[in-house]
Amino acid sequence: MALIEIENLSVTFHSKGHAVRAVEDVSLSVTEKGSFGLVGESGSGKSTILRAICGLAPVSAGSIRIAGKPVPTPRGRAFAAEVQMVFQDPYASLHPRHTIDRVLSEPLAIHGQGDADRRVVQALSDVGLPTSFRFRYPHQLSGGQRQRVAIARALMLEPSILLLDEPTSALDASVQAETLNLLSRLRAERGLTFLMVSHDLAVIDHMCDRVLVMQNGRAVEELSRDDLAGSRMKTDYARNLFEASADRML
Amino acid sequence: MTLLSVNNLRVTFDTEAGRVEAVRGVSFTLGRERLGIVGESGSGKTMTGRSVLRLIRPPGRIEADEMRFDGQDLMRASEKDMRALRGKRIAMVMQDPKYSLNPVMKVGAQLMEGLRQRDRIGGAEARARAIAALDAVQIRDPARVMEAYPHELSGGMGQRVMIAMMLIPNPDLLIADEPTSALDVTVQAEVLKILDDLVQSRGMGLIFISHDLRLVARFCDRVLVMYKGRVVEELAARDLMKARHPYTQGLLNCLPRIGGDRGPLPGLDRAAEWAN
Repeated sequence: MALIEIENLSVTFHSKGHAVRAVEDVSLSVTEKGSFGLVGESGSGKSTILRAICGLAPVSAGSIRIAGKPVPTPRGRAFAAEVQMVFQDPYASLHPRHTIDRVLSEPLAIHGQGDADRRVVQALSDVGLPTSFRFRYPHQLSGGQRQRVAIARALMLEPSILLLDEPTSALDASVQAETLNLLSRLRAERGLTFLMVSHDLAVIDHMCDRVLVMQNGRAVEELSRDDLAGSRMKTDYARNLFEASADRML
Repeated sequence: MTLLSVNNLRVTFDTEAGRVEAVRGVSFTLGRERLGIVGESGSGKTMTGRSVLRLIRPPGRIEADEMRFDGQDLMRASEKDMRALRGKRIAMVMQDPKYSLNPVMKVGAQLMEGLRQRDRIGGAEARARAIAALDAVQIRDPARVMEAYPHELSGGMGQRVMIAMMLIPNPDLLIADEPTSALDVTVQAEVLKILDDLVQSRGMGLIFISHDLRLVARFCDRVLVMYKGRVVEELAARDLMKARHPYTQGLLNCLPRIGGDRGPLPGLDRAAEWAN
């Protein structure tokens, strides 16, 4: 069954009197416990789709359904408990003046859930961080450690869907490997559904069952993982993208 | 012909917690070629690049037995001499367009600033050359981008704006610090082609700093692999996949692969003696 269903989604931004169509008529569906990738150039609208799901971008047409139900506007608490997002830049996505403890306990406080003390400690150990990090500030952590905190924060409310916006592109190769392993492990343990944006086809191939190639706000081609690895794409654009990534086969 | 030679470069920061050596005895020479410097964050690759332009502020200190650019001794050059070199003869593309472009100045004004100050060119001509530079880095709508503020651009556009800015004065040596890590593969390929054309046609030297080993292997002629402030391995780029040093091999192995087995990626075990 499809957990995330997006039909004919369009997102249009209005600035200085002219309209920018960031996403045009894109449809996709992600099965429960599936992992779906979005790839494309900068400005192709892949991150905008994630932002539209969260209510951070204006939906001008089309529909977004989670578990069969259209998402409410504004998204509200029930949505936040179900869907969470991890952003690209771990330096920008954590409040610089909040301790890790405060970052992780805030979602619990907003949702009126107790037992914060134990759950913060548990969340840190789930993402492989020592509990001594609990009262540190983000600037005392490395990029990989911050991204682990961002993942821990996204998981605090035990959502079933994680939207991952280039979660490892700001990280070193070895830290990327650790973070991808962490995400795969959490997905297997908790039965999470991933919708992931990346410009690195190797990362998408490693993490996702299906991938949608986007260009200029439009869907170009949807591929299974086998089609991708076997270079069986039908459109020229997807083929260009694949050929530009040929070194990722090594 | 040697454009740049660096011998036993050291960069030291005296901090409250003691001396931190960011670069510890790096030596290399560069001709009119593409030299890649790869390594993880904190390996000293950016500091090595910045040292060539003497862009390290106190408490940081640069020491070297020798650092010469086109016959000129960079260690003894005055600040005035360095200013004449920076931008005009040695240019650097910084890592992050979000922090390296002026957030309260329109892109066009930033592109024209150098032209007007350094080359004493009039407004209309500076504008035409700025638009041509944006065109050269494949920006589709240069007139719109000229009027945009940096926050209105995507990461990839910002990066291309910075490359355009650095290429306007036609430098002999370009130090590019992660110039394509914010870009997607297709744009990356375009930017690399632009840089490659410049190396081939103008005979520009290029120092390409990156954490992306596979990209460097494909694009550069020669590669230095840095770890904790030292060069642990130097090899021809085409031989990168046959690297001998366990650190280089570890960096390659932890990358996911298209068509790979999707099992957990191997971690990188670091041996203490690599740093010595």
